[in-house]
Amino acid sequence: MGAGMVIRGVEKHFREKESELHALGPFSLTVQPGEFLCLLGPTGCGKTTLLRILAGLETPSSGSVSFTGSGSRGRIGYVFQEGALFPWLTARDNVAFPLRAEGASWGEARARAEAVLSDVGLSGFEGSFPHQLSGGMRQRVALARGMVSNPDILLLDEPFSSLDTRMSHLLQEKMRELAGGLSATVVFVTHNIEEAVFLGHRICVMGPRPGRIVRDETISLKGERNRLSAEFTELLLSFRRTFEEQVAPV
Amino acid sequence: MFTGRVRKGEGSGVFSPEGLIIPALMVAFWYMATRGGTALLPSPEQVLRVLASPGDDIASCGSLLWNIFVSLARVVVGLLAGILIGTPVGFLMGAHRFSRRLLFLITEMARPLSPLALLPFSIIVFRDTTLTKLLGLTQLRYSRHLFNEIQLGMVFILLWGAVFPIILDTMHGVRGIRKRHLEVARVSGAGRWFTFLHVMIPASLPDILSGYRMAVGRCWMVIIAAEMLPGTNSGIGYLLRYSYQISRYDVMAACVIVIALVGALFAKGLADMGEARLLLRAEER
Ligand SMILES: Nc1ncnc2c1ncn2[C@@H]1O[C@H](COP(=O)(O)OP(=O)(O)OP(=O)(O)O)[C@@H](O)[C@H]1O
Ligand SMILES: [Mg+2]
Repeated sequence: MGAGMVIRGVEKHFREKESELHALGPFSLTVQPGEFLCLLGPTGCGKTTLLRILAGLETPSSGSVSFTGSGSRGRIGYVFQEGALFPWLTARDNVAFPLRAEGASWGEARARAEAVLSDVGLSGFEGSFPHQLSGGMRQRVALARGMVSNPDILLLDEPFSSLDTRMSHLLQEKMRELAGGLSATVVFVTHNIEEAVFLGHRICVMGPRPGRIVRDETISLKGERNRLSAEFTELLLSFRRTFEEQVAPV
Repeated sequence: MFTGRVRKGEGSGVFSPEGLIIPALMVAFWYMATRGGTALLPSPEQVLRVLASPGDDIASCGSLLWNIFVSLARVVVGLLAGILIGTPVGFLMGAHRFSRRLLFLITEMARPLSPLALLPFSIIVFRDTTLTKLLGLTQLRYSRHLFNEIQLGMVFILLWGAVFPIILDTMHGVRGIRKRHLEVARVSGAGRWFTFLHVMIPASLPDILSGYRMAVGRCWMVIIAAEMLPGTNSGIGYLLRYSYQISRYDVMAACVIVIALVGALFAKGLADMGEARLLLRAEER
């Protein structure tokens, strides 16, 4: 089962020589185990910074993050904004990397990696190096690498941002399907409102830097989410309004 | 494969038959100039005769082959020493700020110092100690062994020539490792050893290899010059100088040709070795 998170008053300041940048917070949020949370915010509001703090790559300047469930962070799956694939490894070995790091044998890890690659629609490209893949394919490899170890917490940093609409819709559906099969608590960062409404069980909207929550809503769309349904459109509009009024007021 | 095409295409050290025209003209000129045997320089036939029987003893110095072999063996040992010392030191300097601060000044000061300048000291310090002595192989049956020809003094100056490019390039390679890649390892729960083996080494390998490549070229230059100086009586450099002393200019020319050929082969072989790796990184996006 995924781990829950309690984020209490987290702030991040980046100190350069003389200047100081208040990048985030104070940010407080409780994430339930197994929740699919979309974090929506304008560029530069501190979304990546928050994910990095959740992953333990950055320490907050103040405030704390604690984990419920097992009580520790557990396994983390992190899909970096830039993908960050290893250029010297094939798609298969990139995906196998987290399993290998945990001590699985190459054979085991590769078999599992191939299964996950086929989940994201990349069968046949297992042996390709990142530079031989298109941008969208590389993002899918990164997605597969984030999910492969069946993490307790899956952190995704705008994983579909550089794709065209059709491809990102395709991957969003894939993501929904796969997330159903994972037990992970998912934090999905995006600045795309439609993506958030389509994917999230809960959507938190962040204001401009230093980011803090301006709207937090659990989504209760019934059944399949249909981008053309009245309900969906209404929700989309309502979030768009929040964005215009509170996030980027003219 | 954009880089690949540019590299494999026109004008990047590819062999083409047109390149043979000027050398052929030069040989023809050489042949004309030395016809009749009165010239000071040896004729192409004389040199060819020496090259054609590389196993024959030359003026009790051993054969051409043996002397090439001795020089190569010295380079290999010196280079190995350079690699064994330079790679870890470079890694340390790349990964560890204090080590870098501690060692950078001395490596920068030592690097431009010609290894040949150290030859006299090296001979004084190591005297005539050879690999045979070092390994304790003193029985009679080792008396004509290759190891007898590998003087530690020679190895030391080769090490000197090899170690700094290796240290420097390894350091640059390690410093150039992308932070994101280390973070991927970290969030995956990789241990230090796993990260070292599967992220740090492959990420810096192109630079490490280019350091090795530079070192090989330098070693070959250094050994030829060193063998022409006092301190040894074997090796292709020694044969070159000795044949000059006894006025065997045919042998002298043969030595020069062999030295050039071996150098070119080194360069070619190492270029091929490094290429694939470098390309992989050039295409990283
Ligand atoms: N390591 C750092 N050093 C200094 N400033 C930083 C650092 N990382 C982030 N920042 C600053 O913190 C702020 C928030 O950055 P962050 O990357 O978290 O934004 P973001 O919400 O992810 O934006 P985007 O949607 O464009 O990715 C920015 O103003 C950025 O310049
Ligand atoms: Mg970001």
